[in-house]
Amino acid sequence: MALAIRRSSSEVFGAAKWFIRRDCRVLSTVPERAEEKPVTPKRERQAVSRVRASARNPNLGLRHAYPEFLPDPNPKWRNSLREKLERSDMLKRRSQIDIPEFYVGSILAVTIADPHAQGKTNRFVGICIERKGCGLRAEFTLRNVVDHQGVEVRYDLYDPTVQSIQVLRLEKRLDDKLLYLRDALPEYSTFSFDMDPEILPEGTPVPVNPVQVKLKPRPWLERWERQELKGVANIEEHLKEKDRVRRELRATPWEKYDLMKQYRKTIPIEDQNDIWAEVNHQLRQLQLTRKTSARKRTFTTPKPQLG
Amino acid sequence: MATGNLNLLRNAFSKLRIDHVFTRSLQRPRYRPPYWYAPKESATSDEFLTQENKQFIEEVMQDKMQLQNSLQSPLVNIDQNETPTWNPQTRRVGLIARKIGNYPLWTKDGKKVLTTLLQVVDNHVIKYIPPEEFNPMKTSSVQWKEKRKLGCMLVGSETIDPSTVTREYCGLFSNAGMLPKRHLFRFMVSPESYISPGTPLYATHFRVGDYIDVRAKTMDRGFQGVMKRWGFKGMPASHGVTKTHRRPGNIGSGGEKARVWPGTKMPGHMGNRWRMLRGVKILRINTQHNVIWTLGVAIPGETGATCYLFDTVLPLKKHSSSPPFPTQPLVDDLPLEYFDESIQRFDERSITYEEV
Repeated sequence: MALAIRRSSSEVFGAAKWFIRRDCRVLSTVPERAEEKPVTPKRERQAVSRVRASARNPNLGLRHAYPEFLPDPNPKWRNSLREKLERSDMLKRRSQIDIPEFYVGSILAVTIADPHAQGKTNRFVGICIERKGCGLRAEFTLRNVVDHQGVEVRYDLYDPTVQSIQVLRLEKRLDDKLLYLRDALPEYSTFSFDMDPEILPEGTPVPVNPVQVKLKPRPWLERWERQELKGVANIEEHLKEKDRVRRELRATPWEKYDLMKQYRKTIPIEDQNDIWAEVNHQLRQLQLTRKTSARKRTFTTPKPQLG
Repeated sequence: MATGNLNLLRNAFSKLRIDHVFTRSLQRPRYRPPYWYAPKESATSDEFLTQENKQFIEEVMQDKMQLQNSLQSPLVNIDQNETPTWNPQTRRVGLIARKIGNYPLWTKDGKKVLTTLLQVVDNHVIKYIPPEEFNPMKTSSVQWKEKRKLGCMLVGSETIDPSTVTREYCGLFSNAGMLPKRHLFRFMVSPESYISPGTPLYATHFRVGDYIDVRAKTMDRGFQGVMKRWGFKGMPASHGVTKTHRRPGNIGSGGEKARVWPGTKMPGHMGNRWRMLRGVKILRINTQHNVIWTLGVAIPGETGATCYLFDTVLPLKKHSSSPPFPTQPLVDDLPLEYFDESIQRFDERSITYEEV
């Protein structure tokens, strides 16, 4: 009898553990996935608890702003010492250059040292269409249309030839990759190089730009219709009946319930807590020093720009 | 009772087989372990271990660890003037390292280079056998008449729990006052680079800018076809090709050569072989964690693989000046990190190019 009780209690405990872990797992989703919150009336309680958990742990907010501090979740490549060394190198680089918070969809201006350019520097303005890589391999891609020609430049975030990264407009888009801008009308990825930075008032959440782009007629670079994109307006116009049938056949609606797949894609919350506890203090310090120096800079008179 | 006796009798008779003839095989055993080798794994069961006994074992191990950590490096007592000097013919001891991953560094001219990180974990010299006494097992029928010139130095890395290994294996280490190590490796060294057992070895055994040879086991890929194993092209996907898209095709010709020639490239097991990568440059060394950054990502094995580091034998990349000889002793005021002069540090200012 006693054994039976013990067994049942252990089962209850195991179930509770499983539930807690599942609940926490949602918090550790990859930044792209974490945005979408299925708010149904049945799940309201769970959603509330999620919000509470993230409010309790302020460090977890950093995983969207600094996604590259989380290592690659592939267990074959993980090593705690290597990750630690990598993080310290990243912080050292961040102490030399201001790497601001930005997202896919933000408009950035990047200045790099270029031995072949006139004046030995090169400035490029564009919309960030992709951001990927972990640690020192982190990279992002900027896209712009210059002289009716689409141009994309891939930058390493921690490359020491980068002189400055400036966020001209801080915003998010509806999708986590904007690669479809390559097949969209050029006005959606055209930005002038002398754009002024738009400054958001302090404390406001990062705005989401709900713009839906219009795609050019086919041929396309990818099968956009199969990717469940939210930021494309006219995808149905260009489809034939055949494409719709194929899309239905290829759809994988069960994948959002695949807990194992989600697990393999994410870093467990316990690991994340350790990482953010290590990094958070230094990041805050860097932000503070940046702010004070920026305040000082506002009083200097701007130099007249030549050319 | 009677049936029991009958069964015994039957068993005894069944063993008297007359059709089975024992013949001694003429083939010699291929592998005979060296004499210092002791079986490592011990199959112990926890059945009779009480909680107190476990605690006692823990305590003993803690004491031994403290003893080992308090051991002074034998290099301290050696007079610097007495030690022999390095010349290009001497062979130093190497290191046992663990591959812990890859990440990029940038050179001073702005080029991105990928590096491999090797961690030197807890390396100690365990034993030295001078060349006269060293008598290894004979692996080939060729007998070398010349006198041996190199001694054998055993180096171990990564201390493990002594209760998980056999007594004989622990005995190898007890002479040096060490706890057993997970990896034990033999380095052939010239007698003047003798280091007394118990000496710890650090990543600073090598210098930044040196070239090393790395020996490790390649990734095990299992049984692979000819396209992956040998890079064959396979056959077309269409145009009437049936069932031979990834097959090797012809493996021989007719006539006199109507057989498969030895060495023909065929499917088979790929990887899990010892391979030596020679001439790998060291770009950066961390003295606190004993980590070595090497140029390139070609070091064999997965993350976590064990590899052995030697001074390179490539004639153009050998040491030009004396490396730390016989090894670098522990010095307290070493800088935290050494960088090759071509490598940009992360806490330096961004790279700019001068206008010419």
